[in-house]
Amino acid sequence: MLLIAITAVIWYVFTLKFDDTSKTKADFVIGSQELIREFEKDNNLANQKYTEKILEVKGVVTAVEKADSSVNIKMADSTTGSYVIFAFQDQSMGDAKQVKAGETIAVRGSCSGGVYSEILETNFISFKRCAIIK
Amino acid sequence: MKKTIFLSTFALLALGSFAQKRTTTSATISFDATTSKDQLPKADNKTVVAAIDITKGTVAFEAVIKNFSFSNPMIQEHFNGEKWMNSDKFPTATFKGNITNLDKVTLTKEGTYTANIKGDLTLHGVTKEIETTATINVTGKIMTANATFSIKLADYEVNGGAIAAGKVSSEPKITVSAEL
Repeated sequence: MLLIAITAVIWYVFTLKFDDTSKTKADFVIGSQELIREFEKDNNLANQKYTEKILEVKGVVTAVEKADSSVNIKMADSTTGSYVIFAFQDQSMGDAKQVKAGETIAVRGSCSGGVYSEILETNFISFKRCAIIK
Repeated sequence: MKKTIFLSTFALLALGSFAQKRTTTSATISFDATTSKDQLPKADNKTVVAAIDITKGTVAFEAVIKNFSFSNPMIQEHFNGEKWMNSDKFPTATFKGNITNLDKVTLTKEGTYTANIKGDLTLHGVTKEIETTATINVTGKIMTANATFSIKLADYEVNGGAIAAGKVSSEPKITVSAEL
């Protein structure tokens, strides 16, 4: 009996998939420029606060970039070049492809933290499993 | 007058050299460490930063470890944990290298090229030299680069128990794709 229960739990954990981000409650709701500034002010502190949390970020789309068979959406700070970049969950790739640069949108996703890119000489904050929030 | 000429030349040179470095903030790196026992350990990272200098032949990539996206929450957590990639301590994987057959690969001209790439891959805080080939396609203003290679996790001191148990491949396949 116990063995069946244990097997069921193990099976459940291994077959579990992430919930649809559009149905997941956001831990934080923040503007893209404010988020960028917070990371620029103290990268370590911001990483501790936001990494692996679900954030809903509102801002102006500065670029829509082709990524494999999908697209990524970017919200950049034009003065510093720092940017936030969103990679989408399968269910939301269709929505993401409809977005145009210049639009103001809200994106919810899992924050992977902010890093400094030596290649670009700028900071960027990346997100995964994103959904466009309408 | 001399100062003006000097500054103008410098500006032109600077602009010229800047134009030779092609970058993207949306390259994709996939890794596949699946085995016959476990189809879960594979993930994509679609926000990889990449740069290729088409005249110097330098190649660079930066991938944020936490942005490798898995379908399963438990694997996502384990992958980033201390016993695996330890991404809190080593947040980024990087590659810095060169096209070693640059004489055969004229990226300023349209065509499809097989580039030999050699350079340093830094993963989990360990740097190792790797070599691979990449297919680079130049059409108009667009350059696409694709490469597939394997790495040995043990080379980068990644030695989780699941590897020995046959649930994670000891030599995962890495696929890189970039449009610059």
